[in-house]
Amino acid sequence: MDALKSFFMTAPVEPAVFAQSLWLIIALPLLGAFVCGVFGKKLGRANVNFIACAMVAGSFALSVLAFWCVNHAPSGGTPVSMENAFSSSAIRYALGYDYGIWFAAGDFRVNLALLVDHLSGIMLLVITGVGFLIHVYSTSYMEHDESPWRYFAYLNLFIAAMLTLVLADNLVLLFVGWEGVGLASYLLIGFWYTDAAKAWAGRKAFIANRIGDFAFLIGSFLIVLLVGAFNSQASTSNFAPVGINPEAAQVRFREGLAMKGPLTFQGLEVMANSVPASSDKAPNALTLQTPIQAGPLAGRTFGGVLTAALLLFLLGAAGKSAQFPLYVWLPDAMAGPTPVSALIHAATMVTAGVYLFCRMSYLLVLSPTAMLVVASIGAFTALIAALIAFAQDDIKKVLAYSTVSQLGLMFMGVGTGIFWAAVLHLVTHAFFKACLFLGAGSVMHGNGDETDIKKLGGLRQEMTWTWSTFLIATLAITGIAPFSGFFSKDALLHGVHHNHLHGFESASTLLYAVGLVIAACTAFYMTRLYVLTFEGKRSPEAKTEHAHESSGYMTVPLVILAILSVVSLVYALPLMPSRNGPQPVMENFLGPVFASAERIATRGALVSLDHSLPTMADYLIAWVVALVGGGAAAFAYLKYYPSRVGQPAPAFARAVRRFTQNKFYVDEVYTFLIIRPVKNLGVLLFKLVDTMLIDTVLVRGTAWVTARVGGALRYAQTGDAQAYAAVMALALLGGAVYAIIQVLQ
Amino acid sequence: MVHSVDIKYYLVLAAVLFCLGMFGVLVRRNALVVFMCVELMLNAANLTFLSFARLNGDATGHVSAFFVIAVAAAEASIGLAIVIAVFRSRGTVNIEEIRTMKH
Repeated sequence: MDALKSFFMTAPVEPAVFAQSLWLIIALPLLGAFVCGVFGKKLGRANVNFIACAMVAGSFALSVLAFWCVNHAPSGGTPVSMENAFSSSAIRYALGYDYGIWFAAGDFRVNLALLVDHLSGIMLLVITGVGFLIHVYSTSYMEHDESPWRYFAYLNLFIAAMLTLVLADNLVLLFVGWEGVGLASYLLIGFWYTDAAKAWAGRKAFIANRIGDFAFLIGSFLIVLLVGAFNSQASTSNFAPVGINPEAAQVRFREGLAMKGPLTFQGLEVMANSVPASSDKAPNALTLQTPIQAGPLAGRTFGGVLTAALLLFLLGAAGKSAQFPLYVWLPDAMAGPTPVSALIHAATMVTAGVYLFCRMSYLLVLSPTAMLVVASIGAFTALIAALIAFAQDDIKKVLAYSTVSQLGLMFMGVGTGIFWAAVLHLVTHAFFKACLFLGAGSVMHGNGDETDIKKLGGLRQEMTWTWSTFLIATLAITGIAPFSGFFSKDALLHGVHHNHLHGFESASTLLYAVGLVIAACTAFYMTRLYVLTFEGKRSPEAKTEHAHESSGYMTVPLVILAILSVVSLVYALPLMPSRNGPQPVMENFLGPVFASAERIATRGALVSLDHSLPTMADYLIAWVVALVGGGAAAFAYLKYYPSRVGQPAPAFARAVRRFTQNKFYVDEVYTFLIIRPVKNLGVLLFKLVDTMLIDTVLVRGTAWVTARVGGALRYAQTGDAQAYAAVMALALLGGAVYAIIQVLQ
Repeated sequence: MVHSVDIKYYLVLAAVLFCLGMFGVLVRRNALVVFMCVELMLNAANLTFLSFARLNGDATGHVSAFFVIAVAAAEASIGLAIVIAVFRSRGTVNIEEIRTMKH
């Protein structure tokens, strides 16, 4: 055991040496995208497949190495730590490299710097690992497509962008990745662009994301102003928590700002640590209630601006992570190839919002209001998405709504401060949801692209591998005991229940209750999906007589993902020692990342974070809830409905079903409230300003005036040399007269 | 030094010559006469140069006048060539009938 431990904790490469090569993790898939995109057509199918997969595999290998380096703590040696530009205390268990100034304008400066800590390390492994499996799967799934080179170029680009997002050590570089995944998802969703509906789905995703990105940008600007104001207003006593010598700490913070710019996560962390919630302990210090003195934000309090910025980030995260009100793009995004849905919409891009808030956990715990909003948005989204999933008949749409719902759960966790459980659920969800999506792809592949679960059924015997992996993943997401989903979801709900936001005490109980309802709904619709697809008799409406099992390239990733979605339960087990008894592996593991949030929460007393372990009763409740939900669906679709075939459903049930099937008419409401007014305004502006003012008056008007003036002047050109000379003489005369007048005066 | 003529008279003479030349350029129809009038204007200019040069007692004006004479000679040779060419192609040197500057 000790030998194993020391093996895992001694990196094969010196971390400081490896840190210089971090950029390769991003560069490899980017190179793959370039090669596939530019030369792919000439290279041929097999080469493109090989290059795309190899690049991601290389990236995965480097990620493993990076992760290993971050854990580096050889026996007797010092654990890996990184110099902190902003305070004298080093950053533990983080690996980073600064590639110098990216751009600077006045005081504002952004560095091109990468950072790997435990949080981004886990994300790296998930992105490249699951990404690689999906690449391998795609080689078979896209076998019959005409332009696989285009597909793999986009896929590699997507991986590169997501890795940039995760590796960035400042908000600006993160935003580059943030935009990059938006672009790549647009390209991939609209991959089959000759189909108008699919192209539209891509556009919808793009626009919904742009709205969020705009909010993200404004939030970043607010943070820049906030850091500036803090830098000029904070007193030495503010810096007591970040250094033994507050004056030196303040100097260090200013030096850090000058060196690395205001948007670095380390700088924000130091700032968050230095802003007390109240002036009880540090009487002269700047607190959250202190008004900002100068600049565009003058008069507003630090806490208020912070809350506003966080809410803007929430809107940004809602765009990427498909939360209310911007979730509408995700279900439509199922128009893209199925592996894309697995990659983007289960494992990577949609987790960006959760990642962002975990990355900035120390800022979030300073604002209970923002936390409550995050949690409520998450709960609301999770609930409506789960309810909509009830009546969807498209296998991918059910999974899409399920993703939205699970992300909502993660947001609930983030909003109540149980960050590690949110990350754990993110990881386990990436495994089983990728497995589900790929399984759905396999089902479609074997059944002539049939996506309607009512027209499938009875696939259990015909697609054994797909069936068994799908079953495991379904059980995992449903929350049946020995699978990872049970533990991660339960850890999440336990945290939601026991963490308290001060000022909003009753919220936790309410959120917990909602969480249980969501869990029951998840169990119901997932069981329904499973039963209708794999159990029962083959539907007479099926497109093909017999389904065929997919090739090994597709089933092997499925099996690996299924195994992963079982074994990742280890992370939730309380195996690690800590001060308060055993601690779940993931909590222990992410400890260094969330240490600041923990410290701030304890000190500020705005949020109380709980570290108790779920009891047997908690587990029992979760288990019963999942069983009830799943059992109800199994009963309804295996026994109740088949026995009532031919009898008409009651009008009430049909109305509810129609309402749910039409996604609660949210899209229609958006069309009516936002899209149509904006469109009408656009038409009005087009007619008035564009057509009338610009086209008629400005553009054609200029031409008209020039033509008329030219026409008039044409008569002056006689071609008579003497006439020209006369004009010259007159001008000369005028000049002479003017000169004489001047002289006489 | 003998009593010199006041510069005023030179300038007035030059102005009169210039105006005569200009008048000729503007009203005469024969291209050759127009040319001669241009020469007259140049000489009026030369006269001012020389008178100012004498007034200041340096050689700058003299040099300028020489340049003007040289340029005028060159211009006259090219101008006469053009006039001859025009006469050969059109049979006239009447300026009113040659309106080629429109094209």
